Order: sequence, then structure tokens, then C-alpha cells
Amino acid sequence: MSLLELHQAGKSFGSQQVLNNLEMAVPEGAIFGFVGENGAGKTTTMRLILGLEQLDHGTIQIAGRPVEYGGATTNQLTGYLPDVPAFYDYLTAAEYLRLCGQITGLPQGELDTRIKTMLTRVGLATGSRRIKGFSRGMRQRLGIAQALLNQPRLLICDEPTSALDPEGRNQFLELLASLRGQTTVLFSTHILADVERICDHVGILDQGRLQVCDTLTALKQQYAQPQLIWRFAQVDAANRFAQALAAQPNWGQVTTATQQVRLAYQGPAEPLIRRAWQLLLQMDLTPLAMEQVAPSLEQIFLKVVGQP
Amino acid sequence: MTWIMIKKEAREAWRSRRFLILLIVFLIFGLMNPLMAKLTPEIMKMSFGKQFSVPAPTSLDSWTQFYKNNSQIGIYLLAIIFGGTISGEVNRGTLVNLVTKGLPRRTVIVSKWLVITAEWLLVALVSFLVTWGYTAYYFPDQKSPHLWLAFLPLLLFGCSLTALIVLASTLARNSYEGLFMVIGYTIVLYLLSLFTDFKHYNPLSLINHNLTFLTKAGSLTPYWPALLVTGVLGALALLVANLKFARKQL
Amino acid sequence: MTNLQNNSQFFMENLPILIPLILLEFGLMIAAVIHVLHHPHYRFGNKILWLVIVVVFQIIGPVVYFVFGRGDQA
Repeated sequence: MSLLELHQAGKSFGSQQVLNNLEMAVPEGAIFGFVGENGAGKTTTMRLILGLEQLDHGTIQIAGRPVEYGGATTNQLTGYLPDVPAFYDYLTAAEYLRLCGQITGLPQGELDTRIKTMLTRVGLATGSRRIKGFSRGMRQRLGIAQALLNQPRLLICDEPTSALDPEGRNQFLELLASLRGQTTVLFSTHILADVERICDHVGILDQGRLQVCDTLTALKQQYAQPQLIWRFAQVDAANRFAQALAAQPNWGQVTTATQQVRLAYQGPAEPLIRRAWQLLLQMDLTPLAMEQVAPSLEQIFLKVVGQP
Repeated sequence: MTWIMIKKEAREAWRSRRFLILLIVFLIFGLMNPLMAKLTPEIMKMSFGKQFSVPAPTSLDSWTQFYKNNSQIGIYLLAIIFGGTISGEVNRGTLVNLVTKGLPRRTVIVSKWLVITAEWLLVALVSFLVTWGYTAYYFPDQKSPHLWLAFLPLLLFGCSLTALIVLASTLARNSYEGLFMVIGYTIVLYLLSLFTDFKHYNPLSLINHNLTFLTKAGSLTPYWPALLVTGVLGALALLVANLKFARKQL
Repeated sequence: MTNLQNNSQFFMENLPILIPLILLEFGLMIAAVIHVLHHPHYRFGNKILWLVIVVVFQIIGPVVYFVFGRGDQA
């Protein structure tokens, strides 16, 4: 059984339908990349899972327990990192974590050690500074510390990396990846590279539905096609080659972009490359470069969301 | 759980200097009351000439100042300072983390009301004691015998009003809206107080008729419906605040 | 002359009230002035405006500043 399940989940704000009978399941132990364009409804979905928004219809279950709006029982299984976490500026990081831990109901002694290890882990162990002086990155790290403090079964992160600098982003992704096997992670983003780096499951949200939801490898097999790309010095040459390629039966789909010619193919690449070289020789065309592009999440995403 | 949040609120009151400001202002009030009582005849003399005969000030003048200050400024100061206590947290999003950790929403309301009420009781008591001390020193007369009987209705009204402030700031989108709701509430009470038939029922009597309570023995007794109405209104405000906050989007 | 005597007599008589009152008012004012100078972000208005308000309007000025004027970055 999946740790998190959404059935027929629907949500509208006024006349605008955000989620349309959303079906979604996150298996226990997965690091689930929740992908979608800005405004696709990722944050709404997460807030629904946390009981912060009211569902119009449908059900949400965490570990078999239904989520209730305004209720708190399922929240003891979850940890949440909002996109812009808000803290009490007059507390220090340790005091804030203590407040969170006490609310979760952790016993005093265990809380002490956990706060210490957690602060070291996120690199905030130094001192008695109040949160009001924290930078954006420090706040984000405190955010992950408070989300992980109760050792949740399900960690929900809303766009956690978009506000961070490259180094902070790197550290954050490594931290998430280190949770593999201990905690199930649901993590929304529009940065596909992040998903490819650490996620094993991917769901793509578009027009209020989860258009695909599978493991990353299965998706790549199903959707993405490897491509061959040739780059020419002149647009004219590129166009002539593209026409010749398109005329060949069963080679694949040809697209052009100024000086580039792309061929999406199936099956083994080598015979295709050899025949393409022959074609180039026949036509007396010399490309500047040729490369083979492995299937990427970006391709899948664009294909699913349906944009050129 | 409530205790955890009470500690959090108390810490907030202390570190934001909110309590200190309240305390200083109410201390100043406490000092001003006997001073104003002494000064008023002097000012009258200065403006109308020496011949103008003014009766010597008594302890009653000092207590008049005390209840005037509390009912006209003290109450609104509470509304100004606490009018955004819930709406501010909702707008900043600070409760999201705590609620998603399993903090029951009613704990937020209850702990806020408890701490605000405690703050009010403390500063009102300090102001009362200061006025009492100086009044006894400067005006050692027997004209104000029932000090506590006059003071307790004010305290009860305050506790009820803090509940209303919590409700207002739950319904409001910001502190200004909250403040205006509380002002609206007192305006309604003032309009009702124009109907003198209702004076034994109107909560406002508890802060406007204190001099009667102060001087006449047993004068508070007929006002028991007002005490009851005030208590019930406060409890009701807390209840509605809980219901509304349970459905509020954080 | 008598007036002046009266005034100083009145002042001496009320010293027990006036001393703590003046201390508190000045304390509040100085705290507000220091806060205005150290935290240049206000919800509205500017530094000069708040300094004037805080210094000119005793009690009310500092309270208004602390409640309405000071920015969120406390």
C-alpha cells in the first residue's frame, strides 16, 4: 500500500479549477519529484495533504488515515517545509526547534540531543543568534531542520531549492538524498535537473491532473526518445539535410532549429549514424558537430505538458 | 500543549518589548491620576483667578482620574496593541509550521487569550496599586471606602474585552480591522448605555459607574446582570473565535 | 514672586510623584529615540518624522511609534 494516496481530489478557487479529480499515490520510501509549471497546483496539492486547504471532493489518506481540513492527526506523520518558511524572529534557532519538538510531543531528553544533531546537520549549530538576523539560506536550512525534527514518515518540501544559491542547492539536494530509505519525500519543483538528480519517482501535474506518475526509469523508457543532433554552419545546409532525413522511411521524427537538425529515433543508434554519414557524404554536406542526446526528463515533461 | 504555547506567547510579549511598553504606560497612568487630582484646582485658579474658590481635592478626584483613564485610554490601548494578535500570525504564516506539527488550533486561541489577559491583569493591578499608594499618601480621607469592589468590575470587563479582541483579530484581515471591530463593539455598548433602563445589564456600566461602587456600600449588587452578561459575552467571544479559527486558512 | 514660591513649593510637595513620572517618560522617550535611530525601517514615515513624534508627544509618541511605526524587523 502507498504511504500517501489521493483519490478523485478536486479543488477550485472561485471559478478556477485547480485540481481535477487528481489521482496520486506515493509509495513508502520513495523520493517523489512533483513536477509542474508555476501555477499548476503543486502548492495547493501539498497544502491539501497537510490539511491547510479544504478539499472540494475526493479523499486524501496518509498511511491509511484520512486527512481532515483543520485537523492535526495525520500531521504527526508529516514534516513540511513551505516554500518561504516563516519563523518567530525573536527566538533563536535552538529555541524554535525546541518549540516545534515540544508540540510534536518529544520527551525532553531526546529533544535535547535531536536539536543538537539537527542543528549541526544543517550547519546552524553556532550560537545564540536570533532568527531575525538569518539570511534566506539560513532560514531554509532551519526550515528543513524543523521539518525533519519529528523524524516524519513523509517529508513534504515545496520548491525548496528555488530560493537557494548553487552551493546551498547542492547541499540541500544531498541532504534530501541522504534520507533515502528512512523517509518518504514528496518534493515539488520546476527545476527538472534537481528531480533527475535525486528522485526515483516522478509525477507531472498539468491541468489539474497527474498526467504521468511512475518511476523515472519507466518514464524514460515510455516517453523519452534519444536524439541525434547535427549542427551546421549555415541554415540552408541544415534545412537541406533535414529534408533529406525526413524523406528516409522509418528513421524517426525530424525537427529543425536554425542551424540544428534533430532526429528522434528508436532502437540502436549506430546503424542510423552510419547511414546518416553516408547521406551527408552523398549530399556533400559537412556538419560542424554531431552529438547523441540521452533521454531527459525535460523531453518527457515537454511531451506530457504538450509544448513544442 | 497549552502550557508550551503560553510560554511561547509570554516570551513573545517579553522579547518584543510589548509587555514593557504596556507596563510603563500603565505605571505612568497610575502616577498621573493623583497628580492630575492635585493639579486641577491649581489650573482652575490660574485660569480663573485667585478669587475663584475651588474645593480642595480629595481621594475621589484621584480615583475619578483612574477610572477615566482606564475606560477611555487603557481599554483602547489594549485593542491597539493586541488587535492583530491572530491576524498578524496568519498573515506572516508563522502558524503553518506549528499546525502542521499537530498543534491543535484551539490551543492557539486559548493561550493567546490567557497571556493577553494576564498581561492586562498585571498592568492594571500595578496601575491600581500605584494610584492607591499615592492617593493614600496625598489624600488621607475616608471618602473612597470600597476600593476593590470598584476595581474588580473593571478587571472583569477587561478579561471579557481581551476575549473580544482575540475574536476580532481572528475575524479581521489585519490589526486595523481588528481595532475597528473592538471600537465598534464599545460604540454599541455606549449607544446601549443611553437607555438608562438597561444600565444594570450593560457591561459598560462596569467601567463607567465605578465611582458609585467606590463610595456606596452595596451599590454593585444590582449590577449582577451586567457582571453576568460581561462574563457570558467573553466566553461566547472565545467560543466563536475557536469555531472561526478552526476553519481559517493559514 | 509669590507665584514662583507657590510653584516651587508645589513642585517640592509632589516630588514623590514627579520623579518616577519624569524618569518613566524620559526612559520611554529615550528607548524610542534609540530604537528609531537603530532600526531605519518603518512601516510608514521616515526617521525625522518619528524622532519628532517621539520627542514632542510625551507618552503617546513613543507608544504610537512602538505599536504602529516600527518595522517588522524588530
